[in-house]
Amino acid sequence: MNPLLSVLGSIVLWVGGALLVAGAAIVGPCRLARLRTELAPRLWSVRRSVGVLVAVLVASAIGRGALQTVSELFGLRLTGLIYAIEGDFVAWVQATFVAPELTVYFSSIYMYGYVFLLVFPFVAYLALPETTALNRLIVAYALNYSIGLVIYTVVFAHGPRNLMPDMVTSLLFTYNPDFMALTSEVNEAANVFPSLHTSLSVTVASFAVLTREEYPRWTPVALWLATSVVLATMYLGIHWLTDVVGGVALALGSVYLSYRLVDAEGDGAEGDPGRNRVTGDDGSS
Amino acid sequence: MGPYRRIVRQRARRAPQKRYTSAQINNGRMNGHVSRRETLAGIGLATLSAGCLGRTRNIAGRDGASQLTLQIDAAPADRDPNAIRVARHLAENLDAVGIDARINTLNQTDLWRKVLINQNFDMYVGQFPESEPFDPDAMYAFTHSQFVAEAGWQNPFGFTDVNGVDEQLDRQRRVEAERSEVVAELQRSLCELQPFTVVAFPDPLTAVHEERFEGWTNRQPLSAGALLSLDRAVTTGKAADDDGAGTDENATVDGKTDDDATLRLLTTDGQITENWNPIAAEYRRDGTFTSLLYDQLALVDGEEAIPWLALEWDRVDDRTLAITLRDARWHDDDPVTAADVAFTYEFLHDTSMGSVETAVPTPRFRGRSSVVQSATVVDERTVELSIDNVNDAVALRALQVPILPEHIWSDRTGVATIAGFEFDAETTEAVVSNNEDPVGSGPIRFVDASAEESVVFERNPDHFLVRANSDAETDPAAGIPDRFRGKPAFDRLRIEVSPSDIAAVDAVSEGLADATVSNLGPDAAPRIGREADARLVTGHSGGFYHVGYNARRAPLSNPHFRAVLASLIDKKTVVDEAFDGYAEPAASPLAGSSEWVPTDLAWEGRDTDPIHPFAGESGTVDAEHARDLLREAGYRFDDDGQLLARGE
Repeated sequence: MNPLLSVLGSIVLWVGGALLVAGAAIVGPCRLARLRTELAPRLWSVRRSVGVLVAVLVASAIGRGALQTVSELFGLRLTGLIYAIEGDFVAWVQATFVAPELTVYFSSIYMYGYVFLLVFPFVAYLALPETTALNRLIVAYALNYSIGLVIYTVVFAHGPRNLMPDMVTSLLFTYNPDFMALTSEVNEAANVFPSLHTSLSVTVASFAVLTREEYPRWTPVALWLATSVVLATMYLGIHWLTDVVGGVALALGSVYLSYRLVDAEGDGAEGDPGRNRVTGDDGSS
Repeated sequence: MGPYRRIVRQRARRAPQKRYTSAQINNGRMNGHVSRRETLAGIGLATLSAGCLGRTRNIAGRDGASQLTLQIDAAPADRDPNAIRVARHLAENLDAVGIDARINTLNQTDLWRKVLINQNFDMYVGQFPESEPFDPDAMYAFTHSQFVAEAGWQNPFGFTDVNGVDEQLDRQRRVEAERSEVVAELQRSLCELQPFTVVAFPDPLTAVHEERFEGWTNRQPLSAGALLSLDRAVTTGKAADDDGAGTDENATVDGKTDDDATLRLLTTDGQITENWNPIAAEYRRDGTFTSLLYDQLALVDGEEAIPWLALEWDRVDDRTLAITLRDARWHDDDPVTAADVAFTYEFLHDTSMGSVETAVPTPRFRGRSSVVQSATVVDERTVELSIDNVNDAVALRALQVPILPEHIWSDRTGVATIAGFEFDAETTEAVVSNNEDPVGSGPIRFVDASAEESVVFERNPDHFLVRANSDAETDPAAGIPDRFRGKPAFDRLRIEVSPSDIAAVDAVSEGLADATVSNLGPDAAPRIGREADARLVTGHSGGFYHVGYNARRAPLSNPHFRAVLASLIDKKTVVDEAFDGYAEPAASPLAGSSEWVPTDLAWEGRDTDPIHPFAGESGTVDAEHARDLLREAGYRFDDDGQLLARGE
């Protein structure tokens, strides 16, 4: 079977299953049941941010090839500099911690855990009566992608597994080469700074902390998963510590900006008639 | 830069003197007109400016020495799993002796553009662009000083040794009986002067799945000759029923029923999916596929020289080679004529065909085309090459260039432009064209491609191999050995880009492809042995890995310095670790054709390089010993053991 399809299939299967379980355990059946009637108006109220995210994703899908060429020709070639700054840190991580069980764990986190981490907040925040959190999340995703795309164009750098294969094993792909069929479709090997895995995971974790009163059970799960994804990027030899630091900075910046941007817009939407009633229900569930 | 800096320094030295005189004058004036206290202060200041400041200037005017930094360019592990490991080995040992080494990773095309075209590199790690063992004349273009100003595979190092290497290169072209002596001397010169350091000749490893095609010889699995001589596996018809799962699936994926006749190859290097220009140096590795698109006059397969597009050639006299062409057609159905051949040789000399002030020679095949002084059309099928008294071996090399259709390439002789603007007068359209829809005369034709993903070729039904008929009065394939007659055995040739060597090996063992065609690293090669359905095939390569030095830049311009760098590479350890043992360490660039290597340069029975032995033991450099070598060569270190260089 085509390796790309088989990987995609298993991701849909695993993440779908996890979404069902988490939906029941974290969001709760009451909130999910209410979605039946409220889904359409809520989606309508996030149409603008969804529009922005879709526009960013489409622009990135279309323009990435051209921007990649620009990056190859004129980008700052920083692989050597990054290595000079942090040295053998990632090699040390692998030399110290690598164990077969951990490789299985981090590989699954990197592929399945990450996708779940990104998708679940959509469901969770959509189930909230107020759409502010969902709006902010979508705007933050869009910011992560668009700023990331700009930096990828300016910076041309390869990850540790590509620079020092003698010390850093490409664990994800030696564990399951099929994964590479997917990652090579989605990622360009010369786009490592900043780590988008890190920035999107930290974005989700930040939102999980900021919305801990709505979903107290989600916060520790998100923190756990996000930390695992961040560690996985280095454990698997894909990213430098520098990429991770850059990714965290990008995430915090995007979350901050999303609060600035969406608060101003959100004021108008607060005249939503159902608002008070739904907040009242919240306490009882 | 050098002369300019010298002038500045001289000025700086002269300036303080002037200051001193003017300060004295000021001093005198002050004495007459100002108070005693001010005078004292004035004298103090004056002394400071006269004596100390002048001295300060003398010091500050000199550039301080700082640690030497060298950049090593190499392709990342996904693209070339071996080169980056060689670069790492060298970088580590450079760091150990106090030279700041930085590895810069670039994709293959960018690497070659940087090194071969722009020549703005310090050092690079790469492969010599020959897939098979080659004649010593290959060194002619690579190291002759007449090519220092050209862009391409000709002397990318900017290396010059007028009385030694140049003279030996010229002589080996002319002499017949003493050629091996001259070639031995040439190798000694190259080994001593190290314009590049030969690291190892890799085994051209290929993972093959023999279910559908067989005949992957253990000679040269990846050469044009080998791909052409493949046979369809005899069991195909029966296997389709018993073992049909794999093939059925493939048929549905491709949506084609004749999928069995498609030879599917995997590569990690996507260049063949976007560029089909046989003379584009930055896009071609060894040019196997472009040599299947474009016929050469002669094909050398192993030891055998086969009359290919040329039905025969005849050495009329010392200076003339008469070529008779076969009856052949271009892929667009125009006939291949003697005029095309004459055009090709002139075009390779100057891709602008005289339309630009200075000639713009081809960035590939430069050595071969330089053998032919001129080409004269005698009649439709006969052309005479004037070859300036070279020996037969070199004349044969001159016949191994892709013959190009004049009606296509004569439109590409202008200066290349972007939106009407010329960027460089020394770049013609011909060298930058991607050559989309390539029109050659070779056994395969272009069908379609999707960049970075795949490319499909098909068998050319008009080719003389296909039309071979030994019963006919005039056999179109006269003189062609049996293994090529009626070939290629595939209807289609599909090359797909694989994200890594490991993924490629896995796909072959699962039967998703028939063979891998790009280099396999030490993580991928052992996997083949574990897979039941894949077999490891290998042969002898000419594409030696080497570290190239930019001799235009100090201190790499100094052969003594390069010699020390050469002794920082433990070739034996590199072969064990970077190639998993699938390579032969070597001192001479001709080690692939061992009959040319004199015993004093041969590696057999040695643990280390005969000329520049490794400065250390089993991979670990002895830093003090290496520093002593550098000190002997005149280099200096600071207290921390960092090698000092000026003007970095």
